[in-house]
Amino acid sequence: MVRKHARRAVKAAFALALAIPIVLGGTANAKTTASPTIVVGTKNFTEAFVLGQLYKQALEAKGFKVGYKENIGSSELLDTALTSGKVNFAPEYTGILALNLARVKPAPKSAAATFAAAKRFEERRGFTLLKQTPFFDADSFAVLKTTAAKYGLKKISDLKKVPKLSYAGYPECDKRITCLLGLKQVYGLKNIKFVQLGTIPVTKLIDQGKVTGGDIFTTEPAFATGKYVALADDKHIFGFQNVAPVVSKKIVAAYGAKFVSAVNAVSAKLTNAAMIAMNKAVAVDKKTPAAVAKAFLQANGLL
Amino acid sequence: MIGLLAGGPVIPDFGAGSKCETENQAFCWSWVSAHWGDTLQPALLQHLKLTGIAVAIGFAIAFGAALLAYRYRRLDQPIGLFADFLYTIPSLALFQLLVPITGITVTTVEIALVAYTLLILYRNILEGLRGVPAEVREAAKGMGLTGPQTLLRVELPLATPAIVAGLRIATVSTISIATVAAFILPEGLGRPIYIGITQDVFKTEIIAAGALTIVLALAADALLIALQRLVTPWRRA
Amino acid sequence: MILADTFDWSTFPDAIRFIGDHPGLLWDKSLEQLHLSGVALGIALLIALPLGVVLGHFRRGSLIAITVANFGRALPSLVLIAFFLLVSTNFFWDNTAALVILAIPPILTNSYFAVEGVDRSVVEAARGMGMAGRQILLRVELPLALPLIFAGIRIAAVFVIATATIAAIAGGGGLGDIIVNQATYRLSGLVAASLCVSLLAFGAAFVLAVTRKLLSHSFVSDD
Repeated sequence: MVRKHARRAVKAAFALALAIPIVLGGTANAKTTASPTIVVGTKNFTEAFVLGQLYKQALEAKGFKVGYKENIGSSELLDTALTSGKVNFAPEYTGILALNLARVKPAPKSAAATFAAAKRFEERRGFTLLKQTPFFDADSFAVLKTTAAKYGLKKISDLKKVPKLSYAGYPECDKRITCLLGLKQVYGLKNIKFVQLGTIPVTKLIDQGKVTGGDIFTTEPAFATGKYVALADDKHIFGFQNVAPVVSKKIVAAYGAKFVSAVNAVSAKLTNAAMIAMNKAVAVDKKTPAAVAKAFLQANGLL
Repeated sequence: MIGLLAGGPVIPDFGAGSKCETENQAFCWSWVSAHWGDTLQPALLQHLKLTGIAVAIGFAIAFGAALLAYRYRRLDQPIGLFADFLYTIPSLALFQLLVPITGITVTTVEIALVAYTLLILYRNILEGLRGVPAEVREAAKGMGLTGPQTLLRVELPLATPAIVAGLRIATVSTISIATVAAFILPEGLGRPIYIGITQDVFKTEIIAAGALTIVLALAADALLIALQRLVTPWRRA
Repeated sequence: MILADTFDWSTFPDAIRFIGDHPGLLWDKSLEQLHLSGVALGIALLIALPLGVVLGHFRRGSLIAITVANFGRALPSLVLIAFFLLVSTNFFWDNTAALVILAIPPILTNSYFAVEGVDRSVVEAARGMGMAGRQILLRVELPLALPLIFAGIRIAAVFVIATATIAAIAGGGGLGDIIVNQATYRLSGLVAASLCVSLLAFGAAFVLAVTRKLLSHSFVSDD
């Protein structure tokens, strides 16, 4: 008798303990059958946060409801998030789409061609690209101005003159034709040493002479200081990297022209100068991406 | 500095950071007071919420499992081994593994956090119950108490110190593991720490968020000790 | 080409395949992690073990032992690693220092309470037989305290090995490098690397168990 009660009590406690997380999990993943929510996804660096906030706040100002998944990670992970439906709006770099995901050969020779190739790729998969931004944030082979003067470097092909060549790049770089593989194969810099970037900023590694040059993105605040110069990418391995929002076709169909024009209005204002200024405000002056995006949108009548 | 290009965007003045911030000096109070509301406080509250939910759910599950293992001794090894195994999965890996299943959500983080609390809580609750001397249980039976009554009025109260010890360890380690969650979900005090690390090792943000995490853990520990004294006034801690 | 990483039944066979395809990588990273963990554990043992044992023998400093344990537990690993990054950019020693601090509390606490908790009557008997303090420590208290001491070392070892995974975020290397780089190594790599971490942890626990058996045999045979 006693044991039966004890067993019942134990079973009840156990069942309850299991039920709570199941219910919580279920309500968290409840699917809405109403129109799909716009879910913006971003990568995990300053410029990505700024872009995400810009589009999110601009859309919210026009009355759209926007979900926000920040900090997803590299392009590959963001793409997975798109195809698995976790996000349906992701600002991405056209060059990465065309060269790394779509693997278009030969590499497109202009920004417009890159955009067209990227758009064709995404439209085959149920997404589309909205208008691209004026600014481009490409990888670079950046060196100290003093280094460039020392070896007479103006373009990446000039690097053949440098002994013990080394390049600091991001973890995904050593597998990409738009990065290390391009330097090795397209430019013929076969003996280049690759240093993977972790937590130490690339500028510090360059400053300390630990590498010949490194990957400073073209809209990084570092270029505002005048210490560095990005060598000309004469063989265009870094491609053209304007930003275009990758959006699920369902979202465009659901929200139509008002949505598209709101997004394009933001993209049109994003020049290199604007992005460098915003990146500097966050990375150097330690403002939050949300505040910086808000100030920019307000100054340009988009909020 | 306002930049006006023909037909281009208006670039407002975002406000220069203080000298302390731009030069990444040791600790900038100006940054802390400026960003308490938009960065530090939300992170702290998110961290509290993540920890609270995880410990509560973990406790419920571990409690049920421990009761089961208390009655049916043969269940102890499989349950214990399972919890043991969960504990050795690196948190960075478990968080990422769950993302394809439950998305980049609080749920994902909670599932992982709960998994890590199970081992400590299960072991401590079970050991606490087992630590009750047989004579005491016999005495209760002799007094006519039923099984559940004995559990409620005798065994559990005597097991409380061990249970609270387990809660303390589980809470403090959850607070610690929750900082790693910021790798996949930008919530909690781990987020300012990650941002600080990737933004040129921004000292102030790292120190501020780190100190908050430590204080949170110590406060939670102290609170649970006080709770134990309340619940078991006959014991001196 | 669509890169869709789902977590399903194929993930585990994929992980095994990953191990087969990248044995060198996993081996190198495992060694890195063991190196980091081993150095940290070694330093922690050098500091905490003698301290705990001696304090326990003289029955002084229970407050220290308890406070260190409590405070040490409240130090989140990521925070410690980040703090040391602020001080130095030598990644190896940053991470090692953080791991040492995390390893000390369980070793210190357990050694203290293990020695202090030895049955007083046994100690008294030994004293009655004319043993000096040091002999009591070495031939009576330590052998009896061995299980609890080793339990503390085991806790510290498993914890350090698991936490060393996070060190990858701060340049510490090890299997964490694979785990944080899902873009390159995918979920199969992540699972493979995690399995390796678990293996390392269990391996360390096993080695410690064997060491303990050997030590307790040698203590016994001393008589």
